[in-house]
Amino acid sequence: MRRIIVTLIVALGVAGCSSGGEVGDVAPLPETSPEAIQQLLTASEQPVVLNVWASWCVPCRSEAPLLRAAHESFGDEVQFIGLDVRDDQDSARAFLNEFDLDGFEHFFDPSGAVQGSLGRGGVPLTMFYAPGGDLVDLHFGVIDERALALNIDEILRRVP
Amino acid sequence: MEFTLLWAALSGAIGLYAGLWWMGRRDTSLCVRDLWEIAITAAVVGLAMGRVVAMVRGGVNPLAHPGDLILVRAGVDTAAASIAALITAGWLTRSDRFEQLDGLTPAAVLGIAGWHAGCLFRDACLGTPSSLPWAWSQPGSSITRHPVELYAALLLAIGAWALFRLRLRYPAPGLVSGLGLALAGLARLATEPLRPSLSTGPVWWYGAAIAVGAALAASSLYRAGSSDTESTPPPLQ
Repeated sequence: MRRIIVTLIVALGVAGCSSGGEVGDVAPLPETSPEAIQQLLTASEQPVVLNVWASWCVPCRSEAPLLRAAHESFGDEVQFIGLDVRDDQDSARAFLNEFDLDGFEHFFDPSGAVQGSLGRGGVPLTMFYAPGGDLVDLHFGVIDERALALNIDEILRRVP
Repeated sequence: MEFTLLWAALSGAIGLYAGLWWMGRRDTSLCVRDLWEIAITAAVVGLAMGRVVAMVRGGVNPLAHPGDLILVRAGVDTAAASIAALITAGWLTRSDRFEQLDGLTPAAVLGIAGWHAGCLFRDACLGTPSSLPWAWSQPGSSITRHPVELYAALLLAIGAWALFRLRLRYPAPGLVSGLGLALAGLARLATEPLRPSLSTGPVWWYGAAIAVGAALAASSLYRAGSSDTESTPPPLQ
C-alpha cells in the first residue's frame, strides 16, 4: 500500500513539473480599454457571454472546457468574449492553446482596469449581456453547466 | 469562494441519515452506522471518479493538475460517478450484499432527493421555460421556468417512501435494490428534457440504469418464487 502511495505521489510530482506552456499558433491577445469593451457590448446585435479569466487562476482552468462546449453549441447565436486580466501574454496564450479556447475573441487587460470598469472584481467571473449591452446576469466563481446553459437561454430569449 | 454546493451536499447527507434512522427504527436488524459508512464511502469514491472522468473529458490532465479535483462545481460525470459508487457499495457489502443494499437503498434514494432539493440553497432549481402556476423566474427575469430539480426531489422522495414500505412488507433479497436503481434512473430520465444543458447529455445511461434495475428486481422475484416452491413440503402420502 505504501509503495502505491509513494509511486502515485512521485507520478503526480513528475506530471505536475512537466506540464508545459506551449503557445502553439495562438496569436498575441489584443490589449483593450474600458471604452472599447463598452462600445463592443453596446454595438453587439447578438447576446454576449463575457468571461473574465487568467492563466494563473486554477478555477478558470476547470471551467474552460465548459466554455469551449458552450461556444461549440451556441457560437452562432451568442458572441463569446474572453477578458484575460492581470496576466502575461505567454501564459495567456499557452492557456488558450491548452484548452483549445481560441475559437472566440479574447482581450488582454494586464492592469485589470477594464474589469474594474465593468464594476466587478475577482476571477473567474462570467457576465451575460442582452443585445445592446444590458447586463442580464453575472456569475461569480466557477460556473457549472446548468448555470451556463440557463443564462445563455435567458439572453437568447432577450433577442428582439 | 462559493460554498453553496456544500449546503446541497449537506441536505443530501441529512436525507440519507434521516432515511437510515427511520429505517433503523422500523427494522432493528439493520446496523445504521455500518450502512451510513458504506453510503458515505461510496458517495465520496463516486464523486472523485466522476470528477476525474469529467476532467479527462474536458481535456484537463488530472495528474498534471491534481488540485482541480476539488473543483466539483466545474463538473462531475454522472455516469462514471454512479458506476463507481455502485461498485464501491457492492464491494463494501460483499459479505451480505442484498440484505445490506436493500436496507441502504431507500435511504440512499432519499439522500439523492435531498441533494436535488438542495438546489434551493444554490439557487439552481430552474429548468426550461414554463407558464404553469408553480413556475418561477430568476431574479431580474420575467421568464418563468420549471423548478425541475424539485420535481426530481419529489419523485425520488415518494419513491423512497414506497421502497421503505416494500422493504418492510416484502423483503425479497435484491428487489428493493433493483427498484431503487431503476427509480434513480427514471427520475433523471423523466426530468432531463426540462433541464437546460449545453448539449445532449448521457440520457441512455439513465435508460440503462432503469433496465439493469428492473432486471435485478425481476431476478430477485424469480429467485424468491423458486425458493418458495422448493421449500414447500411434499404432500403427505
